[in-house]
Amino acid sequence: MDLLIYAILSVKNDSEKLNVLLAEMKGVAGADLAAVAFESTSVVVSNIQRADLAADRNTAIEYAAVIETLSQHFALLPVRFGSVMESKEAIISMLEKNHPDIQKNLINVENKYEFGIRIFCQPEILRAELRAKSEAMYKNLLPPATETKNSATWDWVNKKLREHRLEELLIAHVDSVITDITEQLDRLNAISKIKKMVTPTTIIDGVFLIDKVLKDELIHIAGDLQNKYHGLNFILTGPWPPYSFVDFTVK
Amino acid sequence: MYDNVIDQSKDITILELLDRVLNKGVILKGDIVISVADVDLVYLGVKLMLSSVETMEQLKSGNAILPINPGK
Amino acid sequence: MSENKILFNSGSFDGLSEEIGKLTNSEDSKLRLTPDNADSGLAKLVLTLVELIRKLVEKQAMRRVDGGTLTDEEVERLGETLMKLEQKMEELKKHFNLTDRDLNINLGPLGDLM
Repeated sequence: MDLLIYAILSVKNDSEKLNVLLAEMKGVAGADLAAVAFESTSVVVSNIQRADLAADRNTAIEYAAVIETLSQHFALLPVRFGSVMESKEAIISMLEKNHPDIQKNLINVENKYEFGIRIFCQPEILRAELRAKSEAMYKNLLPPATETKNSATWDWVNKKLREHRLEELLIAHVDSVITDITEQLDRLNAISKIKKMVTPTTIIDGVFLIDKVLKDELIHIAGDLQNKYHGLNFILTGPWPPYSFVDFTVK
Repeated sequence: MYDNVIDQSKDITILELLDRVLNKGVILKGDIVISVADVDLVYLGVKLMLSSVETMEQLKSGNAILPINPGK
Repeated sequence: MSENKILFNSGSFDGLSEEIGKLTNSEDSKLRLTPDNADSGLAKLVLTLVELIRKLVEKQAMRRVDGGTLTDEEVERLGETLMKLEQKMEELKKHFNLTDRDLNINLGPLGDLM
């Protein structure tokens, strides 16, 4: 019998509260949940036969639901789906070896939830808008081809130059949106990770960690940003357990 | 129409959730039972589900999807 | 998982869930080499790298052209070379049945190559 691991929790002196909570919950495939403790941390596990762990959507969702419920009561680090260890002793030894990293990460996520923000554009529309702006900004393209010049080459260079300027404008635009968002999030003391230009449609893909009580502020900010940037679609998701803010590798 | 909005937000919620639980969080090295191939299988299920929703949307008139009310 | 996690969504456009599927799942763009596709797989890998370098060179060149410090002769020579490179690349893509999308390897946390 192996142990399926759900999350690493900061329990402090509240192990009784955790036990009460676990008694009310069920793990994957209806299994009972238990805690394996080391100092002020606990790992939540359920018994599992390796061969029985189904790699399907519903099991992953059940697994995530356990993490979700726990995250409403304790600061925790979610564990990736499918992590199994062979014994309590192995878990305790893992906790012992990684204690400083685990502590640091747990303090980082205490009383916080993760939120996701994605900003999409309709690439053709945004490009058309910026193209108009770009043409107005740079009237002077290269001089047209003359008899002495190869016109095909000059046409090609001019076409590429247009694309290049458009691309630069697009990036500048996205950067200004990112600056705007980051400033708003800074006011909420958020820790954020933002990627830009992930696909032609998704110009911003970000996650951030924010105090649990600030959820409504956040919705407000998203609304304000939407009003400011009509052409962009915003989607804000959360609250999530801090999946994207686990910054250490288990030794 | 309105059902589509609910379906779509449910899809997005599930996709976001799976992305996190399958790709993020603490990795207990050497003890991951689910292989990369299995993870792809989990996603495959989601893809099928998504394409069925897309088809349903196409069948209904109009392409516009109502915005979801902020809040909750 | 019945709870809706969407706090704010401004008029979702068509194909939103598809786009999110793309973002959360890099399966499509994974480079898969198997005995059966070794030929086209290798061509894909090589052309991806060539295309990356070609685009970087082109970008850098346009930056310099835009800077206005090049003479007409320099612009023309540069343009001709880059144009021919682009044409050659198109021929190669056609030959190996590859699209622009194929030539973009997803590097996971490092993001897309292009």
